[in-house]
Amino acid sequence: MRLIDIVRQSPRRLVIPLMGYPGARLTNSTIRQNEFNSDLHYRSIYKLVERFDPDAVFFIMDLSVEAGALGLQVRYPLSESATVEHHPVKTLADLEQYEVLDPLFDARIRSYIETMKLMAKNLNIPKGGYVIGPFTLAGLLMGAVEIATATITEPDLVLSVVNFAENIIIRYAKELIRAGADIIAILEPTATFLSPKAFARFSGASVSRIVRFLDAMTILHICGNTTHLIEAMCETGVQGLSLDSVVDFPAVASRVRSDVVLIGNIAPVQVMVNETPDGVKRAVNNLLEAMEPYPNFILSTGCDLPLETPLENIQAFMEAGKAWRLRRADSAA
Amino acid sequence: MVNLQELQDAVISGNASKAKELTEQALKENVDPVVIVKEWLIPGMGIVGDKFKRNEIYVPEMLIAARAMYAALDVLRPILAQTDMEPVGKVVIGTVKGDLHDIGKNLVKMMLEGAGFEVIDLGIDVAPQKFVDAVKENKPNHVAMSALLTTTMPAMKETIEALKAAGLRDKVKVMIGGAPVTDKYANEIGADGYAPDASSAVDLAKRLLQ
Ligand code: B1M
Repeated sequence: MRLIDIVRQSPRRLVIPLMGYPGARLTNSTIRQNEFNSDLHYRSIYKLVERFDPDAVFFIMDLSVEAGALGLQVRYPLSESATVEHHPVKTLADLEQYEVLDPLFDARIRSYIETMKLMAKNLNIPKGGYVIGPFTLAGLLMGAVEIATATITEPDLVLSVVNFAENIIIRYAKELIRAGADIIAILEPTATFLSPKAFARFSGASVSRIVRFLDAMTILHICGNTTHLIEAMCETGVQGLSLDSVVDFPAVASRVRSDVVLIGNIAPVQVMVNETPDGVKRAVNNLLEAMEPYPNFILSTGCDLPLETPLENIQAFMEAGKAWRLRRADSAA
Repeated sequence: MVNLQELQDAVISGNASKAKELTEQALKENVDPVVIVKEWLIPGMGIVGDKFKRNEIYVPEMLIAARAMYAALDVLRPILAQTDMEPVGKVVIGTVKGDLHDIGKNLVKMMLEGAGFEVIDLGIDVAPQKFVDAVKENKPNHVAMSALLTTTMPAMKETIEALKAAGLRDKVKVMIGGAPVTDKYANEIGADGYAPDASSAVDLAKRLLQ
């Protein structure tokens, strides 16, 4: 089953907010506790599903898991997302020390896999797991400014690090699928600042190889302004593009192939955190109205919802999304 | 005779070795280093900033243009030190506490340097006290803060408070920026200005000098 098939089979718009962190509030726990404890992490996700009844669910978004498994130094704030602090790879020789590490031996990788197993066993909606994107993992290994410069000055080094990252990602993603993931979303934020050509070379080509290896529905998620990358992202062969709130969806929708699903893009902070429930409903209705001509669309948020998102705003998002009746569906009834 | 247009083009296209070579040649031919900086390098970085703003080039191209500019400046610096060319102004810059995003901050830093400012870069995750210490030590005209996370924006306010507490607030102008930051927020926290992108940050920094 492809993502577009699920979308086509549904009589209404699918509603899938990217929510993980707010689940920690439903279990009175911290983000850090969820990042290390699969039972708790699963319970936080379960509570979100029970309360909001989304059409699919992902676990928490964590861009540090794979890098941490490779031994990079990670900072774990109590109530914010974990982040990688140092970026030690400057040469090919530096990379060699990482090549022997099997990410599947890492405790946090295992914890995410266990979380997925519990989700698969107990939830009857599509389950999604996140993996980092190859250019973004390469960026964590090398440093963001360093990798950006090196795309021009040392492209072969960048490609080697990207290829290395790709193998780590495939290994982890396959294990998530074995654990029961129906969807794998590839998080590739650091690629937002590349030109379309550089994107195709340093991220897109690798993403397409990853996608070909995975027996699951695949989504590419890139935060920031990716308006210039729409075609290049479609080229990767992913089944869905999950894009940020700064992208003008109605304006780019016609550039997305009809069998690729556009997913988004209510603003996580400006709308979901800062608005009232009525304001959230207005934003959702405006987006649904504007996206009416495009069947290949799933209502979601532009990125992962912050911990402090008011729960009544998530409720309002779900209600407005599910209440929306597609005009085509109405006339068919 | 060295062609200084070629030097400017080398900076714009990010050719560091050529920029270095042409600068050395210009010096050998006794071209005034102040002219090289003011009439060719600074306007060159201006062109780079505008191209970036118009999406004609992207972050990597901008970074290597800056690298080429530094290659030229490195040749000129020892000689400039002997002339009376003062920096346009001095700026202490950093990404605020809790925030590890550094690309935007670096672009702002490069454009400021490209415009003739002396910039002291405190890096990322900079605590308010560190800004205060740097102001005491370097006596800059401006403090520039970058924040990419909504959760780290309050650290800008904390830094302004810390500058006040140290009795330094009226010694510097405070400028802020980063994707979630707005003009309105700058007013709210008592900053002196906000810039949406790196070229505008240069305009703002110049304006605040007056
Ligand atoms: C006067 O002073 C001034 C004036 C102008 C100034 C200025 C200062 N500073 C900037 N400017 C201005 O000039 C620059 C040039 O024109 C501009 O700078 P920008 O920085 O805006 O633009 C750059 C040139 C290019 N843009 C960027 O470099 C940022 C791009 C996006 C995609 C981004 C990236 C690349 C990254 N990230 Co981050 N990341 C996002 C970004 C999406 C977005 N919408 O911005 C954002 C900022 N990240 C976010 C998040 C949530 C996170 N990130 C994180 C990590 C990362 C990476 C490491 C993967 C990477 C950073 C690499 C690095 N070393 O910088 C984590 C936090 C890390 C931390 N503690 O800091 C993490 C928490 C993710 C996670 N769950 O782990 C989001 C913040 C949400 C919010 N509003 O709070 C985000 C908006 C993406 C999203 N939609 O969710 C202007 O803003």
